[in-house]
Amino acid sequence: MAEDPTAAMAKECKVRLKISDDTIFEVEYAVAMQSQMLKNALSDTGTDGTVPLHNISSEIMAKVVEYCAYHVNAANTISEKDVKIWDQEFLKDLDQATLFNLIMATQYMVIHNLQDLICQTVADRIKDKSAEEVREIFNIQNDLTPEEEEEIRHENQWAFEEEGWPEIQEEVRLEG
Amino acid sequence: MDLVIENLPLENGNDLLQQIGADNARSVLQYLETPADLARISAVSRFWRHFVAENQCSRGLCIKLFPEVSRFVCAFEIGQQVNFEGASLSKVTEWKNIEREHRVYTQLARDLMEPATENNCIQHPISASSTDIFPDESIMYTLHPSAIEDDRPSYWSSQGESNSDVPETLTYRLSSRLCVVHEVKIHPFQAYFQMGLPIYSAKAVRIRLGRTRSSTLLTSGMLDGMMSADRSASEDYVWTYISPEFPMQQEDKLQTFRLPKPVLCIGGILQIELLGRVQRQEMDGLYYICVCHARVVGRPLPAAYDFEALDQEEKYILKYSDRLECCGSLSEDLSRGSSEEYEAGGSSGWLSLSERIRRIRAGRVLLWNQSILKALLGNIVAAILMIPDDEDSDGDDDILRD
Repeated sequence: MAEDPTAAMAKECKVRLKISDDTIFEVEYAVAMQSQMLKNALSDTGTDGTVPLHNISSEIMAKVVEYCAYHVNAANTISEKDVKIWDQEFLKDLDQATLFNLIMATQYMVIHNLQDLICQTVADRIKDKSAEEVREIFNIQNDLTPEEEEEIRHENQWAFEEEGWPEIQEEVRLEG
Repeated sequence: MDLVIENLPLENGNDLLQQIGADNARSVLQYLETPADLARISAVSRFWRHFVAENQCSRGLCIKLFPEVSRFVCAFEIGQQVNFEGASLSKVTEWKNIEREHRVYTQLARDLMEPATENNCIQHPISASSTDIFPDESIMYTLHPSAIEDDRPSYWSSQGESNSDVPETLTYRLSSRLCVVHEVKIHPFQAYFQMGLPIYSAKAVRIRLGRTRSSTLLTSGMLDGMMSADRSASEDYVWTYISPEFPMQQEDKLQTFRLPKPVLCIGGILQIELLGRVQRQEMDGLYYICVCHARVVGRPLPAAYDFEALDQEEKYILKYSDRLECCGSLSEDLSRGSSEEYEAGGSSGWLSLSERIRRIRAGRVLLWNQSILKALLGNIVAAILMIPDDEDSDGDDDILRD
């Protein structure tokens, strides 16, 4: 029986990705196939040329390749539990800006499991945080008027009680 | 699509969550697991307040935990003006509608996530598929925990069958129309007065949750009739949840059948299906199933919630009245029988309400007509039943006379 041509390609082909500063990333075919976008692009053009990804920086591309390479390898060899642990470590200490750049790149390259993982990580960072802490993390200006804020907190007093809402109320009053 | 390519300088004041785009933001919010988190996110900025409400994040959270909630096509607060009319719905009105719906689902998420609070959510039995000796072995006796009550045996028994595959059902009304069910406990009956002490358990148990198909108000007079009758057909119920089968042990003890996850019962009807028979009665050689006690562990939703079934099958409108939430203690006091008008036994005013109707129109079937009830029963009960103030209450006596 003839070997599946895709499998043969997976072992031997490299895909060339040219990124924002004109650096070339060479990745294995199987790794590149983790990206739906690359999969579609390459099925049309073949693997001879170079795929331009001018809008992704080398730092981000390195992370994407790291993730995809690990998951290709892990597919049949590493337990689900260990993969989950690796996933947590992978994103653990990334700063907010990198995380967001990563999410944009992943969306562009259409890598669903990485996209979900990043969204889950962002959600983990906002769980159990106060509104003020969330603003700091994501660099958000508080554009609510004092009346609007009062209305929201009053309606959802139960959610803010853990924050020590009475203390915050005290501060707001003092600041006049 | 504009991609962010360099590392963003953090001091530029842009909202990073907005920059990743609506789809990603929605994904992020979907991973939040508590209504408190969503509430705090709503307080972050005006954009976030709108985003959480417009994207029905609270509804999404409810559905994630309780898929049955997806049957509610919309939710609204009783007593609030809801405007759906006209193509030129102003932005303000539209926002108010969205915000109200968001509030209802936020409150629902909180109530759904509470732990089970009631050790028995059964209000009263409705019917058994068959009963051997009525009323001595009626389903009523499954309400009593022990096998002996007032010096006599207390249990329900099916009729005998030569075929051990013939199933039976016990149908109960729960203490509220919207009730979260966590587990059902069943104690099969051991006939202590028979040789060999046989235990008349079933092979397996399955639980169904749903509502009555029609809007007929069941009077207690009707209930007696239903309890004694053979009802082998599927009756007039719409089942919105059917559990997996749980094996039952042939043991004289209260056995717990825990649902894979808690389920919201829309309609307040719970049916225990007893599948397969294991015990023959020596006297006649027939198979019987007998149950000493049944109870439902869960959490009835507060009286503030109610629903209406739409014409389309399995779709509902969720209604919420925060007036009742504030007056919770009032309705609780009434239902606990602090007023002499209400029987002490019922856990809500339901039984006594039906008693009053029965006295008014003995034995006749009344259609559930809110304006009639309001006219007959006065405003206190009307408040418990959440009849809106502006409903037409012209005392439609013609319908009573039918």
